[in-house]
Amino acid sequence: MITVNNLVKNFNNLQVLRGISCHIKPQEVVVVIGPSGSGKSTFLRCLNQLETATSGEIIIDGVTITDPKTDLNAVRQEVGMVFQRFNLFPHMTALQNVSLAPMKVRKQSKKEAEDLAMSLLQRVGLEDKAHQYPEKLSGGQQQRVAIARALAMRPKIMLFDEPTSALDPEMVGEVLEVMKNLALEGMTMVIVSHEMGFAREVGDRVFFMDEGLIVEEGKPAQLFYNPQNPRTQAFLSKIL
Amino acid sequence: MDFRIEVVTKYLPMLLQGMKMTVQLTSIAVTAGTIIGLFISLLRLSRFKPLVWLARAYVDFLRGTPLLVQIFLVHYGLPRLLGTNSISPDISGSIALCINSGAYTAEIFRAGIQSIDRGQMEAARSLGMTYAQAMYYIILPQAFKRCIPPLGNEFIAMLKDSSLVSVIALRELTQSGRIMLTRSFRPIETWLTVALLYLIMTLTISQLVSYLERRFAKDDHGE
Repeated sequence: MITVNNLVKNFNNLQVLRGISCHIKPQEVVVVIGPSGSGKSTFLRCLNQLETATSGEIIIDGVTITDPKTDLNAVRQEVGMVFQRFNLFPHMTALQNVSLAPMKVRKQSKKEAEDLAMSLLQRVGLEDKAHQYPEKLSGGQQQRVAIARALAMRPKIMLFDEPTSALDPEMVGEVLEVMKNLALEGMTMVIVSHEMGFAREVGDRVFFMDEGLIVEEGKPAQLFYNPQNPRTQAFLSKIL
Repeated sequence: MDFRIEVVTKYLPMLLQGMKMTVQLTSIAVTAGTIIGLFISLLRLSRFKPLVWLARAYVDFLRGTPLLVQIFLVHYGLPRLLGTNSISPDISGSIALCINSGAYTAEIFRAGIQSIDRGQMEAARSLGMTYAQAMYYIILPQAFKRCIPPLGNEFIAMLKDSSLVSVIALRELTQSGRIMLTRSFRPIETWLTVALLYLIMTLTISQLVSYLERRFAKDDHGE
């Protein structure tokens, strides 16, 4: 589903990603952990080219998205993204947030798009908030709307960039619940998160990143309880 | 002091004619200025460097030189440039005000667009929208709301600055005042009335702007 070969990303003189290679299978749920500044978010943002790769290759569903000739708008329709700070459109209701892209990008009719949006809001448990504006919603509700918004494009892959880090603790659960259901339904997911419990329960594989590299990867149980690399050990001893 | 009200009433119809012209001129300038300004601000924010330079040159030139000089340049320069006879002051005056207003409005829009959180553009692009779609559906509606107060100020400034086109004998309010003066020889009655008429217009606009601001604030769905 996703193949990354020797991905490098520089910001001016700073090398943030220093040659990442990995392969993610369809329906796999990968959780990326690591200290801040390790390049986790940058790696994720390269996967839909919100950050342009400096060098290396990313192939998604057979399309080499790092090729400058690739139509990125078409690729991004297949790769949904959920942000740490939700980034809902404040001038639109929840329903409008979710139905906009299907209408404008997929060219669905208003009726079609709104039916779809309504069913997705139902799926994240927010059908009664459909006509509310984001400012009237709690953080957890906003993030669930954001997930519905990404799902409305019927993506093949979902990227989550620290989806619960900006939430009050009591709202983390409701967002993780939605993500868990998504994983159970077979969505291919890449999640940057420090929710270890979630990673253990839902993740198929965990990547530990440090200083722009995937230092260690493995099944959650193996990586969390029996880390091999000293840097992974040091990091986990600090957070567990 | 003898203030002769009958002088005012005698020339008031003429002044009101001029006032009408001032309103028309300002409306044209602000409308065209908004369109030009939006266009220039989008060039200014584009990724293509020559377009950015072009937009900057436009804004710097028009904000860095006096409007009065720009009016002369258009009125006396443009006919030479085009090889035509002189242009009517109505036309050249309007053109000068439009391009000048465009430069100030461009900066207002640029600031408004840049004030919108980067995450908005990223969220829109991550859904597969093009840059243009993201601008149109997501960024501009939010930016525009923030631009209303400065646009109102620009409207008022342009209304007052439009008096400068009296130098090319365009019969707006100030020019009508000059004509009234040469016929009546009553400077106090003349300029006080003219000032009062300007004041009525500017106060009306600022009321209108604060009304719009309140309306938009009411359905302001936060940041």
